[in-house]
Amino acid sequence: MNALNRFTCEEAFRRLDDFLDRELSPEEMELVQQHLAICESCAREFSFEASILANVRDKLRQVELPPALASLVRQVVARAEGNAGDAEVNGGRGTARDPS
Amino acid sequence: MTTMPTAPDGSTNTQALPPHDFERALAEVVAPAYGYALRLTRNRADAEDLVQEAALLACRGRDGFQAGTNFKAWFFRIVTTAFWGKHRRDSRRPSTVDFEDAPELQLYQRSAEVGLPLTGENPTAVLFERLGTERVAEALAALPEEFGVVCTLYFMEDFAYHEIADVLGVPVGTVRSRLHRGRRMLQKALWQVAVDAGVVGATTGS
Repeated sequence: MNALNRFTCEEAFRRLDDFLDRELSPEEMELVQQHLAICESCAREFSFEASILANVRDKLRQVELPPALASLVRQVVARAEGNAGDAEVNGGRGTARDPS
Repeated sequence: MTTMPTAPDGSTNTQALPPHDFERALAEVVAPAYGYALRLTRNRADAEDLVQEAALLACRGRDGFQAGTNFKAWFFRIVTTAFWGKHRRDSRRPSTVDFEDAPELQLYQRSAEVGLPLTGENPTAVLFERLGTERVAEALAALPEEFGVVCTLYFMEDFAYHEIADVLGVPVGTVRSRLHRGRRMLQKALWQVAVDAGVVGATTGS
């Protein structure tokens, strides 16, 4: 590694989201990591952003499950089994659409 | 005409799951699907209804799932479609947050302005403890729908970009751009919620 193929702050920052999501190539991951090792300012910002993602994830995943959910779904399955011969699926509802 | 759900990767069905395996796979995704549905609907009763409706659609369209592909992505696709079918027509409260201007590092800069921690092992822990789950969910719900759904899938599950693309039936590049922009919007919404709730002091910035 020499100075010519190191990322600048701007080049590293442009890859912030993909880096945090591990969506970069191994080579780019390595280049970002090398930049963070020598740039305290970027390392602090990247660490802060990673902390936000982890905390949002942690908070949103605090979900209290309804106690009867599993049995309700079992009933749905049993009902579908019972009506398997004449079940009619609403046209297109099972296929996702782009909301935009 | 009857249209069954298809595999998220768009492949045609060549081998359906045996009924017992299908029911077991469904049982395994019901809990995460409820969490996803709850963040979409923001209402426990609606989330429960949504999961039940999706389970029924999945059972009826089980031949559309191809063994060996991602069952969770397939089922989440059905949940998403059922949500859009049921709730998109509902009038959503217009967001009070202006997302036109949502620059990078919003929370970093705002936190610096009010003296919240910027360094340490988990620098935003203080802010998020003050916010709590419901206010974080409120900020997520403030996002425009096309950004909110992508962010909800991202935060609620450990889906990779291509799996979110499978769930939504959009290109990976669309997921990437919506997710990156959505996260900037979410930071702005989080700060607005924090200010409105009085858990942080207002700053001069927007």
